[in-house]
Amino acid sequence: MLNLKLLEVCSKCGACYHICPSSLNMEGYDPRAVIKDIISGKHEKWLEHKSIWQCLECHYCLEICFQHYGFESAMTAMRTLAAKKGMTPPQVKRGWDMFIKTGRLGEPMASARKKLGLPEAAKSGSEDFKKIVKIYQESKKQILISKS
Amino acid sequence: MKDFAIFWGCTIQTRFPFLEKSTRMVLDGFNLPYRDLDGFTCCPEKSLVNNVDHGLWVLTAARNIALLDKAGVDLVSPCTGCVSNLATVNSELHLSYKEKNNVNSILNEVGLEFKGKNKLRHLVPFFHDEVGIPSIKNKIVKPFNGMRIAIHYGCHMIRPSHSLKNDDPLEPKKFDNLIRAMGAESVQHMTKLMCCGQGLDRVDQHENALHFARLKLKELKTLKADAMALCCPSCYLQFDNNQFLMEKEGEKFGIPILYFTELLGLAMGYKPEDLGLDSHRTPATNFLEKWDRLNEELSQTTELNRQLEQGFGIAQHT
Repeated sequence: MLNLKLLEVCSKCGACYHICPSSLNMEGYDPRAVIKDIISGKHEKWLEHKSIWQCLECHYCLEICFQHYGFESAMTAMRTLAAKKGMTPPQVKRGWDMFIKTGRLGEPMASARKKLGLPEAAKSGSEDFKKIVKIYQESKKQILISKS
Repeated sequence: MKDFAIFWGCTIQTRFPFLEKSTRMVLDGFNLPYRDLDGFTCCPEKSLVNNVDHGLWVLTAARNIALLDKAGVDLVSPCTGCVSNLATVNSELHLSYKEKNNVNSILNEVGLEFKGKNKLRHLVPFFHDEVGIPSIKNKIVKPFNGMRIAIHYGCHMIRPSHSLKNDDPLEPKKFDNLIRAMGAESVQHMTKLMCCGQGLDRVDQHENALHFARLKLKELKTLKADAMALCCPSCYLQFDNNQFLMEKEGEKFGIPILYFTELLGLAMGYKPEDLGLDSHRTPATNFLEKWDRLNEELSQTTELNRQLEQGFGIAQHT
């Protein structure tokens, strides 16, 4: 949930522009423009914009923010909305599919481990992971039904 | 010292098993009570999972933490992202009784309960706080005196500070202290705390990722740093691999990227090839040659001091 009162202050402050690596180094990256549109209910156009994926989640803005809020909250919200509508960069989609399928973002390289003299990798918890994902997704459905 | 599980994370085990090797060598060298725990999954990665589904991000991390509660061990990880994700969820659940109950009602189905009673630490603050600078100095047989090393902390080693609580989020010191304990100079630079920018590669913005890598590597080249030190597989990927890709296209930086455990292992006397340094895409040859040369000079002065000290039982030349 976004706190619009805090974002209102964000839209006028911008102290983190001086520390945000993306604001400092990427042309056209302007989180306050996104925030102003969120406040006035016109955020839709940002969902397909590359800007919302340029927040690096370095938490610099959070640390320097006197509200302890930061741009990143707004950017995360935009990315979540974009993802709900299937508007994610292809790599994010691939990573997500892998995560849901296996609980990991890749498997240990057995041959390389042997060559380096590393012990066999610990067992992954993918079976239990899949079980809890299933329960979680069921419970999300139940919440949606109870709200409608 | 309390036993701890090592949380390797996906990136190290999938892409950089040699980083696991140097970490194990160093942990063994200090005889630390670590173990591998069965059952971990992805931490999970914030920029991927949290963006898509916050609830599942919390649940997956809580499950990993619950495994620690069950085994009764702390956690240490050589990946900044893993620690930051786990610690963030840990503090979120400690702040919300309701959320914790919801999570536990699901975890109970697989025989687990999130309590969050154990410490979650990154390897660098762990070495600084738990092993301690004096013990580390005792293990150094081949110091980095005269070497100029630029530290890249990596955002998630220190931020968000309300969850990690391990160093100053805007002016950290612990990694610096460790590098200095090994004898090296910690080269101060403008982009020291700047995000590596690897996240941009994960959202199909490769050129922007290269732009970020270039900013830092250019500065270090200007400052004539001998190497960059870091302790995060994602930052490592950004500076080792992307530097290699840019050099292939004709740009020249020549900054070796060394993991904290590789540096410590070298200073403890382990061989570069045993630590996996030959697996780097950006070679560390120049760094190793200069270090060898300086240590030869250093051993000559040590011999001189030994001769001077002979016969002076209570007072010494200073």
